[in-house]
Amino acid sequence: MADGEVAYFELQFKPNAELVSTVRRFVSEFYERVCPDADAISRLALATHELLENAVKYSFDGETKLRVEVVRGTLPAMVAVRAWNQALPSHLETLKASLDALAKASDPFEHYQACMRISAKKTEGSGLGLARIAAEAEMVVKLEPMLDSSNRICILTHTGTWEGQAR
Amino acid sequence: MIALEDLSTSTSAFSSSAFEADGALTLVLVGDASLTKIESMQAVIDGLHALATQLGTKAVVVDLTKLDFMNSSCFKVFVSWINQVQEAEPAKQYRICLRSNPKVLWQRRSLHALQCFAAELITIETI
Repeated sequence: MADGEVAYFELQFKPNAELVSTVRRFVSEFYERVCPDADAISRLALATHELLENAVKYSFDGETKLRVEVVRGTLPAMVAVRAWNQALPSHLETLKASLDALAKASDPFEHYQACMRISAKKTEGSGLGLARIAAEAEMVVKLEPMLDSSNRICILTHTGTWEGQAR
Repeated sequence: MIALEDLSTSTSAFSSSAFEADGALTLVLVGDASLTKIESMQAVIDGLHALATQLGTKAVVVDLTKLDFMNSSCFKVFVSWINQVQEAEPAKQYRICLRSNPKVLWQRRSLHALQCFAAELITIETI
């Protein structure tokens, strides 16, 4: 494959929490082959892990799909990661609220710190995963509209350089 | 009463152990702290806080040099613990040193976030 071409893979599986770390390690190896920046690889692996755990935790029917796309050889890295699952309506509302707050935040790190202050008092859930992707992995996180009438959702996270890249 | 041995756990992918040296309690975390390890992490950190409070320790070290990854749920365990120490009476507070491995790249950003959360309590030591 030449630099500038898009390399991708897709994984589809029933939620198995133990698999998420295995997938993170596999994804890290994939990134190492297509992206020359060690820091970017670490950030991408973190984002992929958090996105996948989010999908696994809130999957209603037990199925999760992950797609990772990378434009080879680019610096900074151009990567998009998508995770699909079927979520309960209550989880979808919580997700939308989190993403709205993230989109409105002028500084992802300050937003992350605010989420940490709230999370410190929570007894269930952390509420930190998506904010962590934005602040630590420095990636954009959004809900991608589904074109069918299913209740499946897709969360997309991508590097800033991915904006406008064709699928 | 809690003892150092109570802070030892071992699973296939995650383990912890603790020792006391030079007046500081040290907790060592090894492996992968992800979705299935949240309860273990919570138990270990709860135990560390209880022991530190019991002993009147003024400094705690958490050695993360062999921790390959920590997910946001386990990170939240740290956040809640640090908040607990922040809100304790001054006589019961203690400093927290997070020992980091510069080759484990996620640690730089995550531990920086924790330090910003509680700058008066947290120091980061890079080996």
